[in-house]
Amino acid sequence: MLRTSRFCNRLVTGARLTFLPLTVQASRTVIEIRGVGKTYHTPTGAFQALRGVDLEIAKGEIFGIIGRSGAGKSTLLRMINLLERPSTGRVLVEGTDVTDLDGELLRRLRQRVGIIFQHFNLLNSKTVQENVRLPLRVAGELERPAQDRRVAEMLELVGLARHAVKYPLQLSGGERQRVGIARALANGPHILLCDEATSALDPETTQSILQLLLQINQRLALTIVLITHGMDVIRAVADRVAILDHGTVVESGKVVEVFLNPRNSVTRALLAESGIESEAEVTTDAGDGSQVLRITYHGPLAERPLLTAMSRESGLDFAILQASVGRLKGVPYGRLTIKTPPLEQDGLQRLLQALDAQGIRHEVLR
Amino acid sequence: MPGSSLQAIQSFEYWPEIGEGTVDTLIMTALSLMFTVLMGLPIGVALFLTSWRQRSERPLIARIQGWTYKTLSLLVNVLRSLPFLILLILLIPASRWLVGTSLGVAGSIPPLVIAAAPFFARLVENLLREVDHGVFEACRALGATTRQTVLWALLPETLTGLLAAITVTAIALIGYSAMSGVIGGGGLGDLAVRYGYQRFNTPVMVTTVAILVVLVQVVQVLGDRLVARLSHRR
Repeated sequence: MLRTSRFCNRLVTGARLTFLPLTVQASRTVIEIRGVGKTYHTPTGAFQALRGVDLEIAKGEIFGIIGRSGAGKSTLLRMINLLERPSTGRVLVEGTDVTDLDGELLRRLRQRVGIIFQHFNLLNSKTVQENVRLPLRVAGELERPAQDRRVAEMLELVGLARHAVKYPLQLSGGERQRVGIARALANGPHILLCDEATSALDPETTQSILQLLLQINQRLALTIVLITHGMDVIRAVADRVAILDHGTVVESGKVVEVFLNPRNSVTRALLAESGIESEAEVTTDAGDGSQVLRITYHGPLAERPLLTAMSRESGLDFAILQASVGRLKGVPYGRLTIKTPPLEQDGLQRLLQALDAQGIRHEVLR
Repeated sequence: MPGSSLQAIQSFEYWPEIGEGTVDTLIMTALSLMFTVLMGLPIGVALFLTSWRQRSERPLIARIQGWTYKTLSLLVNVLRSLPFLILLILLIPASRWLVGTSLGVAGSIPPLVIAAAPFFARLVENLLREVDHGVFEACRALGATTRQTVLWALLPETLTGLLAAITVTAIALIGYSAMSGVIGGGGLGDLAVRYGYQRFNTPVMVTTVAILVVLVQVVQVLGDRLVARLSHRR
C-alpha cells in the first residue's frame, strides 16, 4: 500500500518534472498583495482609497488593473514599489515582505522594480542617453564604460539608438515613453509597473508602445503590471485583469474569461464604453416560441465548427443576430447571439444540454 | 560741434577715478555674487527640502523638517525686510571682524552677501518648487537618495532658471553696491556720493549713472544669452 502510493507519487512528480516545469515557474507569484487598504486623512475627513485588496501576480505575466479615475488603481500600483505605503495589509515582492522597508533597503527594492509614467517624467535638461544612465548612476554598480554599453543596449531595445544625444523635448510622445521604458529597464528589473503609460498618447502610438511592452515581456520574461482606464489596452496585452471600483476588486481573472462573461456591472459598463460589449438590442418576443441565446466559448472550442455541428445534430436552423469572434493574446474566442426557430420547452432544454456537453457557455436572453 | 565735445570728454579730469570706481564695482559685484550663490543655493535647497510638500512620512522627521523650515524661513524674511542701509550700518562690526575693515571694496562685501543671499535663497526655493513633481517621483522610484535627486535631477532641471536668478541677483547687487558708497564702500556709488551729491559735481554723477546703466544692461544681455544657449526647449 505504502509502496504503491510512493510509486504513484513518484509517477506524479516525475510527470511534473518532465511535463510541467514551465507552468510551475510561470505560475510562481512575484507580487502578492494581501488585504491592502489605504486611508488618506484630509481636512474634510478620512478618505478610503483602497480597502481589502488581495492580488497575486505571477512571474512573467502581464497583469492589468482597470478602473475609472478615482477607483484607487494608481494608489494600488504605487504600493508595489512603496511610492505609497499601505495603511493596512502587506505587500510581498518576490517572496519578501516589503511593507515596512525603509532607507537603503527600500532604495534597493525600487532599483529592482521599474516604473513608467503617463507623463514620462523625464529630465528635460538631459539627453536621452543621460536619462537612461540616471538609474545606473543611482545604483552605482557599473563603471562608466559598462554604463555606456548598457545605455546603448537599452536604447537599441526600445528602438531609439539614433536619438541618443537628443533632448526629450525634441522627441514625440511615443519616443519619450520609449525613453521612459529604457530608463525603467536599465537596472534589469524583474517587474515593470506601467502607470497609465499610454493614456497621453494617440491610438497609433499607443499600439506601438503596447507592442513594445509585449515584446519585452516575452524577451526578458518580465512581469508587467499596468493600470489603465481603457479596456483596449487590457485586450491588447494583458493575460489577467482585475477590475477596481471604489477601492475594491470587483472582478478578476483571465482576460478572455472576464471579457466573454463579465459578471460585474462595472466590468460590463467598461466593456460597453470601449465598444467591446455592445449591449445587444434584444428583439421583442416574436411570440412564436423562438428563443434568443448568447453563447460564448474560447480556446480550442473556437476553432471547431460549433454552429454548423449544432445545427446538423439538432436539426434546427439558427439566425446569427450578433457575433464577435477573434483572438485575445492568441486565444481564439467567440461570442454569438443567435435566434432559434420556434421551440417547445423540452426542445430548448435539449439544446442547452447539448451546449453544456460541449462546454459552451450560454445565456437565454429571451 | 563734435570736435569740442570730444575735447571736453578728453579734458574731463575725473576719468582715472571713474575707471577705478568701475573696476571696484565690478570686483564687489563679482565677489559678493559668488558668496551669495555659495550661501543662498544651499539655503534655498534646504528650504525646499523641508517645505510642506517634501515632508517625510515619519512623524519625527517631519516635525524636524517643520521646525527647520520655520526657522530658516523666519531668518530669510527678517534679513529681507531690513532696509539695506540699516543692514550696512548694523554689519559694520561684523565686517571689521570678518575682513578687517568696514570700508572700501572688502568692507562692503559682507553686507552685500547678507542682503542678497536670502533673496537668492527664496528664488532657488521657488524654482525647485516649480520642477515638475513627476521628476521628483521618478527619482524616488529609481531609488535615488535625496542628495542624488538634488544634484543629478533637480538642480540640472532648474539650471536655466538658476542662471536667470543669478542674473537678477547680480543686477540687484550692482544697485546695492552703489548704495554702500554712503558708508564709505568703494566703487561707482562711492564716487557718485562724494562728487555728485556732496560736491554738486553733476558731470561725475551723470557719468557714473550712465556706466551703471550700461553695466546692468550688459549683465542682463549676457544672462539672457546664456539661458537661451542652455535651454533645450525646442
